[in-house]
Amino acid sequence: MKSLTLDHVSFWYPATASPALRDVSLEVVQGEVVALVGALGAGASTLLLVAADLAPRVIGGRLAGTVARRDRSGIVLPTPWTQASGMAFTVRDEVAFGPANLGWPAHEIARQVDRALERLELVPLASRDPATLSGGELQRVIIAAILAMDPGLVVLDEPAAELDAESARTLWRLIRLLAKEGKAVLLATSALDALPEVADRVVWLENGAVRAVGTPDLLADVAVCDAGLGTSVATVWRAGGLREPYPLTVADAVQRWR
Amino acid sequence: MTGGRLHPFTLLAIAAALPALAWILPAPDGPAATLVVALVLTLTPGASPALTGIASSPGWRRGLVVFRTALLTAAPFWLFLLLLHDVPTTIAIGLRITTMVASFVWLVATLEPARLVEAMIAAGWSASIAYLLAATLSAVPVLKARARRIVEAQRCRGLSPRGGIAARLRALRALALPLVLSALHEVDERALALETRGLVPGIRRTPLAPPRDPAVEQAARWVLLLACLAALARRFIVPRFI
Repeated sequence: MKSLTLDHVSFWYPATASPALRDVSLEVVQGEVVALVGALGAGASTLLLVAADLAPRVIGGRLAGTVARRDRSGIVLPTPWTQASGMAFTVRDEVAFGPANLGWPAHEIARQVDRALERLELVPLASRDPATLSGGELQRVIIAAILAMDPGLVVLDEPAAELDAESARTLWRLIRLLAKEGKAVLLATSALDALPEVADRVVWLENGAVRAVGTPDLLADVAVCDAGLGTSVATVWRAGGLREPYPLTVADAVQRWR
Repeated sequence: MTGGRLHPFTLLAIAAALPALAWILPAPDGPAATLVVALVLTLTPGASPALTGIASSPGWRRGLVVFRTALLTAAPFWLFLLLLHDVPTTIAIGLRITTMVASFVWLVATLEPARLVEAMIAAGWSASIAYLLAATLSAVPVLKARARRIVEAQRCRGLSPRGGIAARLRALRALALPLVLSALHEVDERALALETRGLVPGIRRTPLAPPRDPAVEQAARWVLLLACLAALARRFIVPRFI
């Protein structure tokens, strides 16, 4: 079932003449992970703001086309320190801030908070003051805070940017788990090597428009690699002057090499 | 007395009543008395280190830092008053302004915004208004912490905030612009974040841990209100109260 449908969507930020998104059409269905890739300024973050119903409703600007959302969305922005509520003195209270705003009964809030803390491996930090956390820890808290609100559409903007390698792996596994549970996940990331394992579909954005949509194999495509958006293995293969098609992952490369 | 244990409404009532009485009661005795009370309150060690940014100050020194902050904040007002008025008027207005400053500094140091939000929600206030009030109270320590980070960053680039007046002015310029711009930028991002965390107009937020509001504190708040009203009435009745 479709969670999000964008139909010929263009978006202009306030006081700008050229659109940040141009004629974008995209569907995200429940149980699917869709990854947006593109160079800086390609429009991925803008698309996420539109998907999460923050643009133009909150940030202003003008939108053309239609956006249909079936589920409530929750977005994780790339800067965790500006997403903390500032009203909580413990990690647990920070995670509970969103569910409390939804007016849920206290026992349901506690259940969702406990679940989110466990999923992000934050139970040992539950009593810590969010102001004392590292960037990576705070990023996990913010992700937990969004998941505790049980959104049907999870929108993630560079969710692994502040995370160490192990935390990032945990997050990617969690994202697959969320999709398995039926949530729709739309994310933008520059961690391209993770996408073959995480994403069902990859959307290549260029200058605010969709350049190509496909399976993660797209990240080994010649044009994508030329644009600097291929996986590390594909990029190295290309730099080594080896024959196309480029392998997507290390396993692919080993297989090809043999 | 530990301010942090009092109900947030009681803290607000005290912080509102002291300045009100300072302006209603005749000078210099009335404002002097309210100022003494306000300054004593700033010395109480209940100030939250998380709010005042004085976590490194051990034990009783917290109160001294709040006390000093109140006096330093009020000092410029005395200078301007002395330039504009005679000595008795300066003392009368200065005592009242210092009471206001000391009460506010004490309130910022003792009132935890999260507890205030919980108390207001439990009392049936709108979550948006509660957050707005709490965010206003927490703005001072947040800006203070941000200013400290900017000064540290400027130091790393060779700009010293110490030295003569010219050097300090240069440092102030280098601090003010990034402080204002980054604060404005953060307001935008914070608005997005709060929106996505469900803090929108018209919500019915669930109180998570509403602070206990004992009957004695409720009575004390009424007493403070009645004291202000009584002082006001007496001022209108007795002509010498001008």
